Amino acid sequence: MNLELIHKYPREKRFTLSILQDIQREYNYIPREYMEYIAEYLNQPLSDVYSIATFYKALSLKPKGKYTIKVCNGTACHIRGSESIREELLKVLNLEPGETTEDGLFSVEVVNCIGACALAPVILINDKYYGGMTKEKVKDLINSYREVAINA
Amino acid sequence: MLIKIDGKTYKGHPGETLMEVARRNGINIPSLCYKKGFEGLGRCRLCLVEVSEGKRSKIVSACVYPIKEGIEVTTITDEIIKMRKDIILLLLLRAPDNEYIQQLVKEYEVKAPERYIQNDNDDCILCGLCVKACEKLGTKAISLVNRGITKKVSTPYDDPSKDCIGCGACAETCPTNAIKLEESNGIRTIWNRDFDLVKCSICGKYYTTLDALKFIEDKLASNEEHICDTCKKKSTASKFKESFQHIY
Repeated sequence: MNLELIHKYPREKRFTLSILQDIQREYNYIPREYMEYIAEYLNQPLSDVYSIATFYKALSLKPKGKYTIKVCNGTACHIRGSESIREELLKVLNLEPGETTEDGLFSVEVVNCIGACALAPVILINDKYYGGMTKEKVKDLINSYREVAINA
Repeated sequence: MLIKIDGKTYKGHPGETLMEVARRNGINIPSLCYKKGFEGLGRCRLCLVEVSEGKRSKIVSACVYPIKEGIEVTTITDEIIKMRKDIILLLLLRAPDNEYIQQLVKEYEVKAPERYIQNDNDDCILCGLCVKACEKLGTKAISLVNRGITKKVSTPYDDPSKDCIGCGACAETCPTNAIKLEESNGIRTIWNRDFDLVKCSICGKYYTTLDALKFIEDKLASNEEHICDTCKKKSTASKFKESFQHIY
């Protein structure tokens, strides 16, 4: 365990969320041993830390893939056919929204607007936006990411 | 501090809530998530009442409303009944088979429109009183987890909790009897965990768990006799009787 992440915060209850966010950023999810350690370190009941960790959507208890793909289903994207892109993406990866591929590379989430309506329909892979998506582009995009991951 | 409730004047202390004053004077305000001794949670919203201050009036939850000098409270108006009916309807849709909800449904004559009826059935109304009880009387082993439609009361990771002492305070306070507590052959099962029960040294009935007893002994830093509540009351009463019998 990388305790440095936790120890840089004072042992006060109000830092619970900040620590959880840092761990989420580092590991893409909150491992159980970290959750238990935070409770001990901040002298809080585990149930309280667990309650916070399950409340926020930005925190995940299940491991997320290396690449988190967010498919926008906001109004603009919806009108321009985000539904078919989502279906294609889930078919290519053989997933349900919220799940992660077995190789741990991709997770898919459906979100309600990522503020890039001019690019609709748009998907977001980690921090990179891909606008003007079509069904055909989906497969190539996934393959290119997969190649990068394999060669890395 | 004087306040008026339904036209009568009552005395209250600064910092008290409306519910505390009402309950002390035997005024009935319906509630599910209020329990005497705990601060109000304001979750079930059944305790809505109308508070007038001068010319202005508003609807508040009695269990979380601190009293002020000179307020006039009406515990039942047509508007409040309407609001309570709406709340009871929502509770009915969540817990259609629950007897406590059914009592309210009968009292307020609520009927769920056909199109709202669904098959979900849960006794828990997510008031959080058990979480409060666990915090105050136990070890904070349970909490409200998740959010939205998946929200529930649970132990971390739904595992048998290491912190739980099986005291049963959560089940005891639950207004809808939603928490499963089973006892058989000297074992109590609650929150997926088994606890050994302890017998009262006088009447021989099982009355608490070993872990709960240890928790209390650690807190009080003393070894009390293992006596259940009923026997404790009896022995105190008989001691009382003994010491006073020659006085009169």
